[in-house]
Amino acid sequence: MPYSLLFYRLIVRPVFRERARSLLVILAVALGVSIVLAIDLAGNAAVGSFRSSMESLTGDNDLEVTAAGGVPDKIVGQLATLTYPLRISPRIEDHATIAATGETVPLIGIDIIAEANNVSTQQIEPLNDEGLKHLTDPDAVFTTRAMGKSPGAKISLLINDQTHEYTVRGLVPGSSQFSGNIVVMDIDAAQQATDKKGRVDRILLKLPGQPGLDNWQQRLRSALPPGLALNPQGSQTAANRRMLAAFRGNLTILSYIALLVGAFLIYNTISVSVVRRRTDIGTVRALGASRNAVLIAFLAEAAVFGLLGAAIAIPLGRVLAIGAVRLLATTVDALYVSSRPGSLALSTGSILIAFVVGMGVAVVSALSPAREASMVPPTQAMGRGQREYAIRIDRKRDALIGLSLAFAGGLAALAPAIGGRPLFGYLSAILLIAASALSIPALVYWCTSVASSVLQKIMGVEAMLASRSLAASLRRTSVLVGALSTAIAMMTSVGIMVGSFRQTVISWMESELPADLYLRPAGDPSADRHPTISPAFTERIAKVPGVEGISRFRAYEIQYQGLPATLASADTNLPRHREPSSFLSGRPAADVLQQLTAGDAAIVSEPFTNKHHVKAGDIVTLPLGEKLVSFRIVDVFFDYGNERGFVILDRSTMLRYLPDPAASNLAVYLRPGADLEFTRELIKRAAVNSQVLIFSNRDLRREAIRIFDQTFAITYALEAIAVIVAVMGIGGALMSIVIDRRREFGLLRILGATTAQIRKLILIEAALIGILANIAGLALGFLLSLVLIFVINKQSFGWTIQFHWPVSVLLFALSVVYVATVLAGIYPARIAQRLNPIEVVHED
Amino acid sequence: MRTRFIVLLLILLAPGAYTQDYKQALPGYQYQFPRDHFNHPDYQTEWWYYTGNLKSADGHRFGFELTFFRQGVSRDSNDATWHVHDIYMAHLALSDISGRRFYHDERINRAGPGIASLDAASGAVWNGNWRALLGDQHQSLRAAEERFGIQLELASTKPPVIHGRNGVSQKSAGVGHASHYISFTRLLTSGEVSLNGTRYKVEGTSWMDHEFFTESLGTNETGWDWLSLQFDDNTEVMLYRLRHKDGSVDPYSSGTYVDVQGKSVLLSAKDFTMTPTGETWTSEESHGKYPVQWRVTIPGLSLQADISTPLANQELASRIGPTYWEGAIDISGQHAGKSLRGVGYLEMTGYGGSHSWGANRSNNH
Repeated sequence: MPYSLLFYRLIVRPVFRERARSLLVILAVALGVSIVLAIDLAGNAAVGSFRSSMESLTGDNDLEVTAAGGVPDKIVGQLATLTYPLRISPRIEDHATIAATGETVPLIGIDIIAEANNVSTQQIEPLNDEGLKHLTDPDAVFTTRAMGKSPGAKISLLINDQTHEYTVRGLVPGSSQFSGNIVVMDIDAAQQATDKKGRVDRILLKLPGQPGLDNWQQRLRSALPPGLALNPQGSQTAANRRMLAAFRGNLTILSYIALLVGAFLIYNTISVSVVRRRTDIGTVRALGASRNAVLIAFLAEAAVFGLLGAAIAIPLGRVLAIGAVRLLATTVDALYVSSRPGSLALSTGSILIAFVVGMGVAVVSALSPAREASMVPPTQAMGRGQREYAIRIDRKRDALIGLSLAFAGGLAALAPAIGGRPLFGYLSAILLIAASALSIPALVYWCTSVASSVLQKIMGVEAMLASRSLAASLRRTSVLVGALSTAIAMMTSVGIMVGSFRQTVISWMESELPADLYLRPAGDPSADRHPTISPAFTERIAKVPGVEGISRFRAYEIQYQGLPATLASADTNLPRHREPSSFLSGRPAADVLQQLTAGDAAIVSEPFTNKHHVKAGDIVTLPLGEKLVSFRIVDVFFDYGNERGFVILDRSTMLRYLPDPAASNLAVYLRPGADLEFTRELIKRAAVNSQVLIFSNRDLRREAIRIFDQTFAITYALEAIAVIVAVMGIGGALMSIVIDRRREFGLLRILGATTAQIRKLILIEAALIGILANIAGLALGFLLSLVLIFVINKQSFGWTIQFHWPVSVLLFALSVVYVATVLAGIYPARIAQRLNPIEVVHED
Repeated sequence: MRTRFIVLLLILLAPGAYTQDYKQALPGYQYQFPRDHFNHPDYQTEWWYYTGNLKSADGHRFGFELTFFRQGVSRDSNDATWHVHDIYMAHLALSDISGRRFYHDERINRAGPGIASLDAASGAVWNGNWRALLGDQHQSLRAAEERFGIQLELASTKPPVIHGRNGVSQKSAGVGHASHYISFTRLLTSGEVSLNGTRYKVEGTSWMDHEFFTESLGTNETGWDWLSLQFDDNTEVMLYRLRHKDGSVDPYSSGTYVDVQGKSVLLSAKDFTMTPTGETWTSEESHGKYPVQWRVTIPGLSLQADISTPLANQELASRIGPTYWEGAIDISGQHAGKSLRGVGYLEMTGYGGSHSWGANRSNNH
């Protein structure tokens, strides 16, 4: 038999005959793949191409010198006078908020005069000769062309807690290179504007070609004080990329779970279609087609579906990515590092991935049904009345395998992380999902057999029939329940994890935010931006009546073992109204804080211990100013606000090494009986020209929860899409069931069933599928949430989360899914009602 | 864009800006050494200018120039580290006469945290890692870029010469259009030249000029030609010729003769002639056409000298500042009937390039 004829007979004709089924498969592929693609694209735009905005105007340098709290000015002079032919570019790197628009942009200070020595970097461009005379004025700024300022134009910038007017004196060329605006100043002006007297943030070094980078690094290392870090240029970017890679990895895996749900549906739809085509298969087999030919024909069909699905997924994924990139950028800013999402770029690579993933999923999902199709014996298939699956599934054996997989999943959950990634955690989750899928036939069988008589009593004979029919076509039912329950499990587990996390954060804030008022400089905060409040203002607040004490919190960006971290200090000797007690050791806070004030001691946050494998009693050695200082970790504190990891010192310890008295945040304690609003008003007045935001304890918690919810927006979005895919699949699957069973419905009608009874039968089937899926999904979701909270989260972020059932959220979500499942049955039910019983019974 | 930036940067350096904040070079200035070897922040412009002729044991001949410039920008009381009070420029050039190539580099900096400055206590004047240590008897130079460098010890054989009359070297008509100008006319030099990875032990003679002033050139002066001549009879001559737009020579052109004992004699414009004698060299970079052959006569001293250069291309084509020709020369001539030979340096400005030297360095040697 010619292959083309076989393909036509077996595949092409049925595909066109059953457009709904074909469309469903294509759509399932398209949705699944588009999610993978959207997350890939968005991930790439938001973090993949991450380049610190501070790398603007850095030119072609080789090495950089950095230090916690800045590099002392004199190091620039020392480097400049070394006998080596180096090019040296000191920089101030900070942020400014444009008062008019509220946009926060990088503020870069360069030595405008010495830049003339640099042949390769691009120069600022004075707007006119007049502008040049003011190059080094303290109020001279250079803006990107996109900011559209004309020479001499005034621009108000909020830097730290001060707003001042600056004058645009020229343009920064090549602004198309970086994805946003920047403000450039001469290093003198920038140092004054950012109040970084005596320090620069980074010194870039260009080396001669010989004798190689490593050799130069060694030579220069010995010429520099030990506290200064000497790294290849852009190591900050590299460190941030390493940090973001883990985040992105987790996200990608979430997106593939959505694809998994799609795979279930493809499997189901193709299974059904194989049944539909048994006669055709029998015919072609009888005409001499080999088993392999049939197998290949079905796989080819799946591949074509995958191809079409992927083709739809590409534009769809691109659209979804627009939304995803915004959500991602929020998360990255809040948890990791100030970033600007790059543009979404649909590369050949991502298009290729879409096709490979789409066709791969479709072919793999079709493998088992296609094999089944090839097994159809020609004689049997051609006979009439063959409807149900020839191969019955062995539910007991499957359940047993499922049980052992679940056991293996449990074991995998106990394994440690590999290279900071919870690979075994993910394996555990996959094993649990597989275990659940294998156990579902047993669950369906058991539930329906127990329930059928009960259902008959409550809801009538239609319910009994529905229940029995589910049990009879156990395989098809199991696949449907499996698909929906996986989606529900995903939703439930993420819901439980996020809910638990949220509750943990709320109770943590309860103990960790004991002060009455909190102040920070205006402008938007980010995990790595620490603008400061002027010390003069802090002193004024201390004198405000009603203020009992102020804890000054100061944060610096550091790199520890090649990863970004935050080094901070706080006043720990304040009378506290409520003692925080959230230390890992469980010791009273007073004991820990007392140890902290003695000598070179530090406390570190839980994510820090996770990233750097340290514990209480260990030593962390940090570069501070010019020195390399070793701190003993006296305890570990819980922290959920920052994924980068904190090292906290007592303020007096910090000032010994970094004498800058400005604070990044202030926590103000009021005297007992002082009126909150009144004191807040007094502080506001004391601010004079300091631009600060004042939060009451309650405001701050609300703000923190708002940021928290924003951060998890992307996970909510992902699970919602998975559930939509699943529910759509239910609708489509019920549709194929109706088509498949039209002879049965015809017989029922002939036996006297009314159309209303047929409709009821189908809706009850849908409802039963919904209930079974909810039960299985909830159980699996619970287990997955344990893996998420205690394995995946702990290993990749290091947060200890207290388990908590988010009851109302779950109830609501599950009800929505349930109602959606029942509603998905309405259209198929209507089709079933309309069937002509005589016609369908005699169809074959 | 770059060129425009740098050209405009010169406006910042331009004399005439903020001159009211500075003193002018006036007659009667009391020199005091070693103090007057160092910085004079009360004057807007100042430079320390080393040139010399060197030879290695195996006969490889070099010329070198190392110059430190300081230009006052502001004299406010802001004491921030990076605040710009002065701009420091420096030029380094090596004439590989035997290898027939000219190498040069330049840099511009602010003082900042010790990037460029002067320190009377240690005797240092530096710009990045180019450095001179000054002293009455002894000076040392160290400067290098990727391809070439010098490390030289200089010993004075004569006391410093103060040029001009009554402590000022007048450059054009009018009070203050002058500079305070000091030279070490014969510095015995030994040390090392490195070039493309090869080190040469060298010996020779150097010349050092130190000038400080506030706006000295007249507005009609477009450039100058300057000569330092070190004769083998242990005498030296310095001459400069200021040129007008129309090609005529300014009457304030002047010079100095230094005898064997180190005693100096002022040469005014009428005391000497200094004339190009035909041969020119045209720069491919700046398209400037430089007269590289000269004849000098000083009738009062019965001195006549023919000047030629062993390497025509010694143009310092600057990225940052003005372009000029500064190179090693050979001298053959006659003094009171006896034949005379020598070496020296020739500087020619205002011939080529888009920016006139006069816009920046408003004085001459």
